[in-house]
Amino acid sequence: MAERRIIEVGALARVEGEGALHLTVEGDQILDLRLEIYEPPRFFESFLRGRTVRELPDLMARICGICPVAYQMSALHAVESIFGVTLDPSVRALRRLFYCGEWIESHLLHMIFLAAPDYLGLDDGIAVAKLHPTQVERSLRLRKLGNRILTLLGGRPVNPVGACVGGFWRAPTRDEMSALESDLVHAVGEAEACLRWIASLPIPTRPQDIELVSLRHPHEYPMNEGRLVSTRGLDIEVAAFDSAFAESQVPHSTALHCRRREGGAYLVGPLARLVQSADHLSPGAAAALESLRPRLPSFDPAASVLARGIEVVYAFEEALRIARSYEPPSSPAAAWTPRAGVGHGATEAPRGTLYVRVETDAAGDVVEIRIVPPTSQNQARIEEDLRLLAPGILALPHDVARRTCESAIRDYDPCISCSTHFLTLEIERKLPPENACVRS
Amino acid sequence: MRALVIGIGSPHGDDAIGLRVAERLASEPLPPGVQVVARDRPGLTLLDDLEEAPAAVLVDALRSGGTPGVVRRVPPAALASARLGSSHALRVAETLALAVALERRLPPLRIIAIEISVWTGDGLSPPVAAALGPACEAARAALAELLPDA
Repeated sequence: MAERRIIEVGALARVEGEGALHLTVEGDQILDLRLEIYEPPRFFESFLRGRTVRELPDLMARICGICPVAYQMSALHAVESIFGVTLDPSVRALRRLFYCGEWIESHLLHMIFLAAPDYLGLDDGIAVAKLHPTQVERSLRLRKLGNRILTLLGGRPVNPVGACVGGFWRAPTRDEMSALESDLVHAVGEAEACLRWIASLPIPTRPQDIELVSLRHPHEYPMNEGRLVSTRGLDIEVAAFDSAFAESQVPHSTALHCRRREGGAYLVGPLARLVQSADHLSPGAAAALESLRPRLPSFDPAASVLARGIEVVYAFEEALRIARSYEPPSSPAAAWTPRAGVGHGATEAPRGTLYVRVETDAAGDVVEIRIVPPTSQNQARIEEDLRLLAPGILALPHDVARRTCESAIRDYDPCISCSTHFLTLEIERKLPPENACVRS
Repeated sequence: MRALVIGIGSPHGDDAIGLRVAERLASEPLPPGVQVVARDRPGLTLLDDLEEAPAAVLVDALRSGGTPGVVRRVPPAALASARLGSSHALRVAETLALAVALERRLPPLRIIAIEISVWTGDGLSPPVAAALGPACEAARAALAELLPDA
């Protein structure tokens, strides 16, 4: 009779949301591995039906407290493609600046408070703060600048309300932008120092054969625009998303999984962007990347934290560039006329490509909306990663095995509230009948 | 500014009580030099408010299993020993613990907590709505302690 061993571990900390990892093992063979996401569905796609596009950006922002800009931007680009809105170049630059603010905030939170404790063997960011106050204070100063940007364009740092169809409700004055510029001048060096510190920590290595997917733009590092490309030859316009990707339901998750049509798991996020658009990095970010070779560019999800650090440097340089060259637009938002149609938008959220498909009626009300968040897309990849990781950790003491799994999951910085929350690890060990010994 | 009242909460159910307290106090005469702000789940940005305030009163909802609507003082030290939870969003206790870990100078602080329970109706539940007045009074009493000459 097969002996079964169940190991229960407390809630996984330092990810957004609640879920569980279930592992069933017989000998060295993994019988079952499930990333269980049991956060209740939030029904955004349902209750957004019938809302006007004027309400859409502010409602989208409520999906996530960490990456509201991404939800706003993907939805707005989808709507604007239906209405045929062309953005004023100055407004387009402001949207890029807005995104820089969000990357700065989200990435630094992950690097210092969520990931660094793993490399230092500490429980949480407060323990990191006690041991490395200089590093934590620096990241807080940098995050504050991210907040500055979000507040300037969104009215407030959390759940911003500044974006609208065609642009923003209000554009900053030249003086406001000059004030921001002077605050940003020293930030690039601080961001570089922050990355150097993270890179000095013992980050694990886990190279894998992964398909990386992100937007790619001909002239710039991807944020709001580009084609969907992958390291395995995918190159399609955003509107063709459904031709290459398919969402499906799995019993153990309230978030839809998203896979390539051929069935493969893939990774979206900073690593995918960096590998596919390293040629568009700003000088400081490019130099930072050079200093990290051969760790990056690579197909190692564990190196994602370093990709985040490079993107923080990039976001500060890009924000500074935009602030320096800013000329207030003649109007903060382009005029538009509602139109019936279907539009597609994909932008690069901190955690990866966020796809939105919107259908509007002639009055400009939302008939239907589909939202495919990055964490949804990464679920299958996380399971695949753990399946590759598991055989190597089964012999380890339970606590070490658990930490290793949790750390691997955190490499993806999953935001479970977005995709529908996280984490109890349960390893169920079934021993083959001939094997009488129970492994711990 | 001599003191800052920070009403903390979210628009959801009884969790909005801190925001309602801030709104009411802001609409009433206050001692000179007192500013009031409402913060929707501020996370780490709470540190920015505390950095700039010479003294502060925090008003927030609390779930400790007590009777909904009860208004109480919580000693800052009781919160500052918290550990980081599982979410991206730092709560008040965790943010204060972080400030303590960083040996940051915290302003003289009073914390007013209003006990809530799960409420899924519109606006505040009756017992928590009834606590709005007493919570505002508790915040004023805390201000009087922080600004004895006012």
